Amino acid sequence: MAEKVAVDPQAFKKAVDDRTNARLKMWLEICAHCGLCADTCHFYLSNDRDPKLIPAIKGKKVLEAFKKKDKIDEAFLEELYWTVYGDCTMCRRCTMFCPFGIDIATITSTGRGLCVSQGKVPENLVKTIESYYEYGNQMEVSEEDWIDTLQWMEEELQEELPGATIPIDKKGANLLYTVNAREPKFYPMDISQAAMVFYLAGEDWTMSSKGWDDTNLAMFAGDLKAAGYVSQLVRDAAEELEVKRVAITE
Amino acid sequence: MNLVTLYELLRGPLLWLAFGVFFGGMVLRVILFYRLSKRKDGVIYRFFSWKWLWLSIFRWIVPLNETAKKNPIVTLVGFVFHICLIATPIFLLAHGVLWYESWEISWWSLSEQVADYMTLIVIGCGLFFAIRRMVLPHVRIVTTAADYLLLAVTLTPFVTGYLAYHQYFDYNTVLILHMFFGELMLVVIPFTKLSHFLMFFFSRAITGMEFGRRSAPSW
Ligand code: SF4
Ligand code: SF4
Repeated sequence: MAEKVAVDPQAFKKAVDDRTNARLKMWLEICAHCGLCADTCHFYLSNDRDPKLIPAIKGKKVLEAFKKKDKIDEAFLEELYWTVYGDCTMCRRCTMFCPFGIDIATITSTGRGLCVSQGKVPENLVKTIESYYEYGNQMEVSEEDWIDTLQWMEEELQEELPGATIPIDKKGANLLYTVNAREPKFYPMDISQAAMVFYLAGEDWTMSSKGWDDTNLAMFAGDLKAAGYVSQLVRDAAEELEVKRVAITE
Repeated sequence: MNLVTLYELLRGPLLWLAFGVFFGGMVLRVILFYRLSKRKDGVIYRFFSWKWLWLSIFRWIVPLNETAKKNPIVTLVGFVFHICLIATPIFLLAHGVLWYESWEISWWSLSEQVADYMTLIVIGCGLFFAIRRMVLPHVRIVTTAADYLLLAVTLTPFVTGYLAYHQYFDYNTVLILHMFFGELMLVVIPFTKLSHFLMFFFSRAITGMEFGRRSAPSW
């Protein structure tokens, strides 16, 4: 039996209505189809200037989706999926070079949101979103492992700089330092190096046992609900610890 | 219906209608934009900044940006085209006379010779854009029938105006066509991408502010 991708036209229409806003409507209408954005896009340049990859084409595909609403079918969804996840990294370079400042990155992100409504999201991104919900970070780092890593890094740090610490959950600190979950998972030394800088700068800082991952791959995936959840984790940590500001890793 | 009544229709009620649709349509566009944006585009108002708004518009209304530097020919043709497109009908002596006849208002006008050249420039630039669309693969691929149609709608008033001024073909017929196409263009502006003559400012402002809030220029 052939694999069947379920299309939910009503959910798609609802996503279109939800994501319609004044900027998007304006941009999709006024694009002059001038092609001046073409050679600002790395997809176009690195594929022998394949005209199918110019930024405006991505806008056009999302415009089609907006026009189709509940008239979408599997074939179209597939096309949209490959365009918004496969042909654009939402870097916004083209936005800088378009005479109107049309924000293709935001348009692509909207297109991804439409795919989310159909559960059509790249598998790896789905996994990271699940990890955010379950572990509060994208790399399935448990709280226990996180604290262990911080303590281990503190020991390493103290070998070089006696007296330096990695404070955890210090209330009222000036700065909450958040990291990419890759750091505890693969490059823990990054954390002790940052701690070194903070120590030498005399910064009043802390790390948090919860809400410490500052990446937001849910946003990258176009899943706004999950993206909101992820940002909220950091915000909650900052409020809980009553810090003045949140710093994010380089 | 003979030519005289047709002329009077186009000179009277239909002209009113065209101006009405044009101005009313654009005002409506702005109102609808504002209302929807208040509801769904919080980011505009949250990071509103006059500084980035003006800088972004200024940098593009005079060509002071990377795109202009990288595409000198398109930029030059684009600017000349837009300037002549807007200035010629407004400062044309023959149009001034009509305003004076109806309203007894008048303003400075171009010499007929200059206006004639400017008309040719608009047509020439328009043809440049049409050819560019056909020849460059990355422009051809995003081009739709509407792009050609709207270019035609923009150029026909100038072509017929040129023919009327030089009295080629039957003057009365050409004049009537000229009025018709001019009014047609006014009417379609609010409902098509030609509305960019105004929405340009909104879009530039918004992107200028969006980049500006990260202290990054959008030009
Ligand atoms: S996105 Fe901008 S630069 Fe690209 S075709 Fe549209 S108007 Fe031209
Ligand atoms: S935002 Fe997308 S389309 Fe624009 S330059 Fe980046 S990758 Fe290309």
